[in-house]
Amino acid sequence: MRTSVAVYLGIAGLLMAAAPAWAHHAFAAEFDAQKPVKLKGTVAKVEFINPHSWIHMDVKDADGKITRWMVEGGSPNALFRRGVTKDALPLGTEISVDGYQAKDGSNRANGRDITLADGRKLFVGGSNPDEQPGK
Amino acid sequence: MPQPVVARPLLRALNLLAAAMVAALLIPRPAISQTAKTKAAPAKSYTAPRTPDGQPDMQGVWSNAILTPLERPADLKDKAFFTPEEAAAYIKRTIEQGNKDRRDGSGTETDVSRAYNDFWWDRGTSIVKTLRTSLITDPPDGRVPALTPAAQKRAAEVREARRLHPADGPEDRPLPERCIVLNSAGPPMSPSAYNNNYQVVQTAKTFVVLNEMIHDARVIPLDGSPHVPSSIRLWMGDSRGRWEGDTLVVDTTNFTSQTPFRGSGENMHLTERFTRTDSETLLYQYTVDDPESFARPWSAAIPSLRTTGPILEYACNEGNYGMEGLLSAARFEEKKKSK
Repeated sequence: MRTSVAVYLGIAGLLMAAAPAWAHHAFAAEFDAQKPVKLKGTVAKVEFINPHSWIHMDVKDADGKITRWMVEGGSPNALFRRGVTKDALPLGTEISVDGYQAKDGSNRANGRDITLADGRKLFVGGSNPDEQPGK
Repeated sequence: MPQPVVARPLLRALNLLAAAMVAALLIPRPAISQTAKTKAAPAKSYTAPRTPDGQPDMQGVWSNAILTPLERPADLKDKAFFTPEEAAAYIKRTIEQGNKDRRDGSGTETDVSRAYNDFWWDRGTSIVKTLRTSLITDPPDGRVPALTPAAQKRAAEVREARRLHPADGPEDRPLPERCIVLNSAGPPMSPSAYNNNYQVVQTAKTFVVLNEMIHDARVIPLDGSPHVPSSIRLWMGDSRGRWEGDTLVVDTTNFTSQTPFRGSGENMHLTERFTRTDSETLLYQYTVDDPESFARPWSAAIPSLRTTGPILEYACNEGNYGMEGLLSAARFEEKKKSK
């Protein structure tokens, strides 16, 4: 193909920035690219709801203080169709979340990656270029 | 410790699916069309099974997940069909580029827009069997015809209003964010990034399209009744259906000015055609006729493929925490600027 990958990446980037309708709503309007967060804690509540799922987690800081965070995911319908159930993420499960915090500074983030305690990525099947084979 | 959510082979397949979603990002919003003369014309050899009422039976759950873009990518110029090799390369590239698990551009709005990882997405993994480079079948260039000056003015006004008042209140936000209509549910229906499924239910006098992307069941009368008066405008328009041989033809009018499809206006006349072309395919074609908005009518075609049900609930308003987050973010930004 003559079209360079760079061109397509450019187009994809533009469209991703300009066409948030794909994700139902504009994540860039809700979350701050300048506020990446890494959260580690336990699952406190799972809401597999539309238009977007939310995973609530309790994050303990160095002083032992616990803060509740809400992590936004996608529409759960595709997950259900793939066999995921609410039991897939039991309460108390230890998870780590990489995402971006809400612009208003509240304890909300989008869930770019959700990782289990043993390193396995939740809802990821090996296409993650950063993931090591066998994980 | 929780177990992996899904078996790994399935996950691989799912990743492909998710990657497919990327393809859609390469192209402006999809739609599909077709005219009677195109290659996608229904195969004559297949006769659809019948409902108890004797209608061609289109009931079941169908999927519009497909990587073919609505419009032919500009760089393909006059190339209406891929070769098999080009098709494979296009699919691969599209899936790769759409992969939400990519981690380049960390700390950018693009990365924020990738939102959550690939597993949540479902854009399909193939293109149309004809290898057509666009879902648009007419005009021959595979592109949405030029907008009229009036349509361009309308679109510019919407953009300006959004620029001036991006999020004063929920009314300023796009209809999908407000859970009022979601674009892919149409009409016309378009392939989307997830929830591409729709269910058809037929009775002697109605044809119902229940779309998984948002909560609407479009109940289409087949009883020959006229459209509602032009003073009544509806989010999804007013649809009336009739049988032409084994094809269901649906006319929709009475749209609103707030639901443009690729620049259409409230007086768009949309004609959809549903035809069973084999046991696994429901060919969905549509023609957009809106001289106030487009230089000429245009058509597209999507082969909807049979898929596994059931259609799942999409209770959008109840769970729309995102709206609160968006508005709260806007207030925060305003405060920051005013300091």
